[in-house]
Amino acid sequence: MNTPEFQGTHLWDRLCWAKENLEGYQSDYRVVYEDSIDECAKILVPDPNWMACAMQGGILPPVWVYHELAKDEAQEDFKKHTRGYLLHETQPVDAMTEEEAIEYLIMKDCPQSVWQNWDSGNKPKMVICRKEQLPSTREWRNAWKITEELTVTDLAA
Amino acid sequence: MAGKIVADTLEHSTAGSLDTQYVVNGSAKAWANINGSGTVVFRDSLNCTSLTDHSAGIFTTSFTNSMNNADYSTTATSSLNNAYSGDMIVMIHATGTVKTKTYYGSGYAGTDVAINCHSNFGDLA
Repeated sequence: MNTPEFQGTHLWDRLCWAKENLEGYQSDYRVVYEDSIDECAKILVPDPNWMACAMQGGILPPVWVYHELAKDEAQEDFKKHTRGYLLHETQPVDAMTEEEAIEYLIMKDCPQSVWQNWDSGNKPKMVICRKEQLPSTREWRNAWKITEELTVTDLAA
Repeated sequence: MAGKIVADTLEHSTAGSLDTQYVVNGSAKAWANINGSGTVVFRDSLNCTSLTDHSAGIFTTSFTNSMNNADYSTTATSSLNNAYSGDMIVMIHATGTVKTKTYYGSGYAGTDVAINCHSNFGDLA
């Protein structure tokens, strides 16, 4: 199915179109990251409907739009968004592969301090894995950490 | 878009009329049903990008179309296979995310349950 020409269409209307016309895609990828040494590892789980939009193309705004909105919200005097038009009027991004969609998701929903410096330090702060590689039960969930045995060199190999 | 109807009012033959702004303002702008036990996944959703599994019972859901401000309203509910109803509370509202916690009993520690649902009402960015 071809995506209608959506530039200028409200993003929420595009998502409603996608909900009606696209089959959700349940990705097996998970992003494990640590952004605090005092907390357990966090797991990022993609939304199937969003994955379908990403892989369809022509629906989602570029990720930099979210960074701009985040900058606005970080202002001390922020009350409400005044640049929401960026979501609706910016040229939508083309179809992504599943892997490209996960990269987009990392840049959108993981803290920048994690993905910009994931390979600095003694062990990686972030790992992309398959859900089968996570512990099979959630017992001791609050103690999950990225293994010390995993090095940045391992990940680059 | 094709099939678009522009109307300010809906009128019933006998029961009166309703401004469509009630429909627009009163509809959930983002919702999710999340399996919070076993393998954590979205069962279904609208206007969600991802969820972050922070720890037992604590999740952040990210929106694709951000809310206009952080003063929107969230209703949340949870249950464990219909066996009991956990309490699900909002921890943090931001325009692009909502962070929730499910707990059971008086200890208030985050608890994994099978069904976590939330709906978010307010203005979109």
